[in-house]
Amino acid sequence: MKTLNRLLLGLVMACCLAPSGFSQTPATPAPAAAAPAPAPKPITDADLANAPVPAADARAKGDPDGSLTGTASDISVTDTKKGITIGDLANQVGQNKIAINFVWTLVAGFLVMFMQAGFAIVETGLCRAKNANHTMMMNFMVYGVGMLAYWLIGFAIQMGGVGAVANLGGTPVLNGEYTITLFGKPFGLFGMNGLFLVHRGTYDVAVMVLFLFQMVFMDTTTTIVTGSACERWKYAAFIISTFFLGAFTYPIFANWAWGGGWLANLGVNFGLGKGYCDFAGSGVVHSVGGVTALAVSMILGPRIGKYTREGKSNAILAHDIVIVLTGCFILAFGWFGFNPGSTLGASGNGALRIGSIATNTMLAGMAGSFGAMLYMWLRYGKPDASMSGNGLLAGLVAITAPSGFVNPVASVIIGLIAGVLVCISVEFIDRVLKVDDPVGAISVHGANGLWGVISVGLFADGKSNYGGSWNGVTGSVTGLFYGDNGGQLVAQLMGVVTLLGFVFSLSFVFNLLVDWFVGQRVSAKSELQGLDLPEMGALGYPEFELKSEM
Amino acid sequence: MLILVGLLVTLLGFLISVLSLTLTSSVGGRLVLVLLGLAVSMFGIMGLLNRHYLKNANWKKGVN
Repeated sequence: MKTLNRLLLGLVMACCLAPSGFSQTPATPAPAAAAPAPAPKPITDADLANAPVPAADARAKGDPDGSLTGTASDISVTDTKKGITIGDLANQVGQNKIAINFVWTLVAGFLVMFMQAGFAIVETGLCRAKNANHTMMMNFMVYGVGMLAYWLIGFAIQMGGVGAVANLGGTPVLNGEYTITLFGKPFGLFGMNGLFLVHRGTYDVAVMVLFLFQMVFMDTTTTIVTGSACERWKYAAFIISTFFLGAFTYPIFANWAWGGGWLANLGVNFGLGKGYCDFAGSGVVHSVGGVTALAVSMILGPRIGKYTREGKSNAILAHDIVIVLTGCFILAFGWFGFNPGSTLGASGNGALRIGSIATNTMLAGMAGSFGAMLYMWLRYGKPDASMSGNGLLAGLVAITAPSGFVNPVASVIIGLIAGVLVCISVEFIDRVLKVDDPVGAISVHGANGLWGVISVGLFADGKSNYGGSWNGVTGSVTGLFYGDNGGQLVAQLMGVVTLLGFVFSLSFVFNLLVDWFVGQRVSAKSELQGLDLPEMGALGYPEFELKSEM
Repeated sequence: MLILVGLLVTLLGFLISVLSLTLTSSVGGRLVLVLLGLAVSMFGIMGLLNRHYLKNANWKKGVN
């Protein structure tokens, strides 16, 4: 035993001494002070004129390895007699930067547009087969109705006064914010430029890119409501309600958060952190949709058969869980446009953070699906498929606001909490509030959107740097857990109260008016038969044998 | 009537939060007022508006 102890002691000493021995090694002598480098020679127009370009005969033979394509000869020159100049070169560099940002933002917008397909099949799969055509058609037309409303008026209200968007080369024509003075400070309420995308000089390449990207965000909001209201919503009422949401409700809150409105300026005007921060829209997109879904679902009332006369909730099963989970994957794919695209660029002003934002998005979605699956497994004995899908979406919704401001560990925590929260919220809304939400949209988007907004005020780590400031306040967005004094959290909570107190009320009043004048709910006869024939005139699955409750 | 009261209470929560911007300049004071506004708005939605709809729910009338 003693021998063993000695051996071990010797081994430990050897290990301890070895590094110190290395540390005693004489340091490499410092190199003699080098002669000062000659001052860099400025590039002149003459240098550029002599830049090597491929000869015409070499180019005529093709360029299989790509070495001859994209050279100085491709730079646009302003004066062919003078040839290429420093000014031409600088202009080309600037245009390349903006081109990268345009392409990035447009492709991200195309990805978000594809999320409509994900929402459509998630919601249709979660409803009964007898309502498939109706639910799918709502999800299809929400794209067109929402876009029309947004093009006519919504975009102007949201972005008409945003000012210069540097990553898109500046949008100086969007300079018309309607502002009032309250408590001695300016309160931006809505934008005024950009009606029909031609009003007041808004026929502009950067404005077009901004419109496309913001439009698909707005459409995401409108499609949230169709999920919670499905299987009983009158189609005509859906059209009117969606138009109002795209034209007014969404753009007003989006202006306050993103368009230069008063929430964004809580930092500048009242010293609350960097103002309300919602990187990609947990609040602007998802909570606006979620609280509107709550208002519409309350007005509509539950589906026939959802509750017993004693108020006990009955489960109404999804008709196709395969397309539900496929839709969740499509949504997760589209989210890579949603969050990283919200930098509005990939070059300049800290936009290289897109890698971090995309990874945070992926991690939070994973954590959300795990959180929901484990919660359901522990509570009910089985890993519920639809709730696991909702957990994925909840994680993605929650990370949307903080994705640009937090680190990967925080992303996983935010996603995990979202996955559990969505299960608890679904139970609460279903059993306590007795509000019927067939797809869980109020919980996925409403509750977790609010959680995402709050999480910015807690987890933002102060490491992001988007051009040195955010919402006009110098520095990086920092939450309570990373040394902030709580001002950022107050700004975030102010956004939460605005969503619940103002946005909910606006949605509720408008949809109440629709209920009074048009009627929100289909007849009991149509509902029992299934809405495909009475509302749409055709069945979603004409060759299926459907179970009618008549 | 309950709908109108519910709506007013929901909006009142929002107003309390906005007023916190001028009633105090301390972060703690604003936090308390914003949380109070949040609670008031949630009571308006869940405690008043939803109560109205639960009173008249279709399943209580035997349409289930």
